[in-house]
Amino acid sequence: MATWDELQEALDDYTVSCNTNERLRKMQKDWTRILHFVCSDTAETFTMDVRSGEIISTGAGHVGVPDVVVTTDSETFCDMFWGDLNPMPKYLRGEIQVRGSQEDIMRIDAISYVIWPDA
Amino acid sequence: MSELAPPSSEAEQPVIGDHHPHHLRRSVGVFTATATSAGLAFAAINFLGIVSVSTFALGSSAWLAILIGGLIALVVAGVFSELNSMWPTAAGVRLYISNAFGGRFALIATFTYMTTVVLVIAADAFLIGAAIQHVLNEPPALAYVWILVLLAIATALNLRGITMAGRVQSAVTYTVLAGTVVLSIVAIAKPGMPIESPFALFGNGALSGFQAIAFALFLFAAFEWVTTTAEEARTPRVITRGLFIAPMLIWFAATVFSLALDHLVPKDVAHGSAYPQLLLGAAALGRVGEIWMLGVTVLTAINTFNGGFLVASRFVYAAAREDNLPRPFARLNIRAVPWLAVVVLAVTSAVVGAVIFATGQWLLLVAVGAALEASVFAIASAALLKLRRTHTKPRSFRLRAAPVLAGGGTVLFAGLALASGFSDPADPTQFSAAPALVVICLGLVATAYVLIVVPRLRRAAAARRVAARASGERVKRRPERPTA
Repeated sequence: MATWDELQEALDDYTVSCNTNERLRKMQKDWTRILHFVCSDTAETFTMDVRSGEIISTGAGHVGVPDVVVTTDSETFCDMFWGDLNPMPKYLRGEIQVRGSQEDIMRIDAISYVIWPDA
Repeated sequence: MSELAPPSSEAEQPVIGDHHPHHLRRSVGVFTATATSAGLAFAAINFLGIVSVSTFALGSSAWLAILIGGLIALVVAGVFSELNSMWPTAAGVRLYISNAFGGRFALIATFTYMTTVVLVIAADAFLIGAAIQHVLNEPPALAYVWILVLLAIATALNLRGITMAGRVQSAVTYTVLAGTVVLSIVAIAKPGMPIESPFALFGNGALSGFQAIAFALFLFAAFEWVTTTAEEARTPRVITRGLFIAPMLIWFAATVFSLALDHLVPKDVAHGSAYPQLLLGAAALGRVGEIWMLGVTVLTAINTFNGGFLVASRFVYAAAREDNLPRPFARLNIRAVPWLAVVVLAVTSAVVGAVIFATGQWLLLVAVGAALEASVFAIASAALLKLRRTHTKPRSFRLRAAPVLAGGGTVLFAGLALASGFSDPADPTQFSAAPALVVICLGLVATAYVLIVVPRLRRAAAARRVAARASGERVKRRPERPTA
C-alpha cells in the first residue's frame, strides 16, 4: 500500500515526464480532459487536469466533472506513474478499471507507451 | 508542475449497483447504446444473410426463422448482460473467457473471434462495391476498384484519428433501419407473389429448418460488441437495455425485408445476387428504390468500417502492448492511432475482398460468419455457467433460469454452429464442409499462434527488458522504500 507522499512523488515525476516529452505533447495536443483517480485500497482520490496534452495540475480529491475515472490500488498507480509498469496487461485482466471512452483509455495507455516504451 | 492539496478522505463506493459513483462529462445513454448495438449488427452482409435464411426455409417461412433467431438473440443478450455487469470493460469478452477457462484459451478464442471483424469488413467492402458498380452500370471489374476506394477512405479516416460521434452513429443506424423498413413496407403494399407456406419452416426437412435458424441468428451477429463501450455507459443497465432493445429493432427490419423480398423478388433471382436489397428497391420503386437501397447500403458501411476498424485495431494494439503480437503493432502515429494495426487490417480486408470478388463465394462468408458467431455465443454461455459457480462477484443483472437458458444455449449454439458450418448456402439440398473447414483453419492458426509464437514473443520481450536493465538503459525508476 503506497502512502500519499509516495503517490505525490510519482505524480510529480509523471507530470515532468509528460510535459517535457515533445512527441507526446504533439500527439496529445488535441486532448483536453479531467481525469479522476481512485485508490481502491486506501480510498484516496486525486484529479489530473490535462489541457492540450499538458498536465496543468494534479491534486488530491475530485475536482470538476471527469472525462475519465481510473480505479486501481495505490501501488499500481505509483508504479504506473513512475513508468515501472505497463498498465495494459493489468487493464486487460480487470485490475485497472477505467470509465471513459475507448479513445481516452487508449490515450492514457499511449502516454505510458510513448514515455516508457520498454516498461 | 503539480500542486497537491492534502489527501482526500472521500471513500469511493465500488461499482456494483445500478449507478456509477462518478458521472462522466460525456457518457452513453440507452439511445446511443442501442444504436451502437444495432449498427454493429446490421451490416450490408445482413441482406445476404436474409437471403440465406430464405434459401433454407420453405416458401415464405423465413420470417419464422428470423423470429426464432431473435428470441435466441435475447438469450444471448441476457448472457452478455450478466457477464458485462460483472466486468464492464472493453476487454470484456476476453476477460469473461479468461476467468472461466484460462488466459490461453481466451486468447485463442478472441484471436479467432477478431477474424470475423476482418471478414465482415471485407464482405461489406465487396458488397457495397458490387452494389455501386451495379447501380452505375459499370463493368463488373470496377467493383474491385470500389472495394479499394472504400477501404482506402476508411483507412485514411482511421489513420487521421477521425471517429464518428455517438450522435452521428445513432443517426446513421436509425436511418438505415428506417430506410429498410419503409421501403419494405412499400414493397409489401404492391401487388406481388402470394405468401406461400408461411409456417412451413421445417418443410424442407428438420435440418434445413435448423440451418435457416442458424443463419437467422447470424443477422444479430456482433450486436453484443456494444459491451466494448461499457466503460462509457451512464449506468451498467444502459448496456443491458441496449442489448435487449437492439435485437428487437434488427428483428423487425429483417422480418419486413424478408417478407418484402419473398413478395416481390423470386427466390432464385435473390439467391444469385450480391445485392438483393437493390433488386427489392428496383421492384418496389424502380430506379428511385434502387438508389434508395444503395444509399442504405452505403450508410451501413459507415458503421461497419467505423466500428470494425476501431475495435479490431485497438484489440491488435492491446495485444501488442501485452507482448501477444509483435511490438510494431503497438506503434502509434502522431494522432495516437496504432497505424500498423490499421494498415494491416485494411490490407487483409482488401485481400479477402479480392478472394470473394474472384471466387464469387460471398454466401460462404455468410456461413463462416454464422458458424463463428454461434461458436462465440456457445463459449460465452458456457463461461457464464462456469462463472456462476466460481465467481461471487456482485452483478447488477442476473439471467433468470441461467442453468436452463445458458446451459441449453451452450448446446443450442454449438448445434447451430455445426448446422451453419456444414451448410452449402449455394445449394440448400447439399452438405458442404467448406464453412466448417474455414472456421477450423482459423481456429488452428490462432491455436498454433498462441501456443508457439506468443511464448517466444514473451520470452523475447522479457530478455529485452533484462538486457535493458543490465546495460543501464532502463532502470527501475521508483525509489526504494526506506527500510524500518
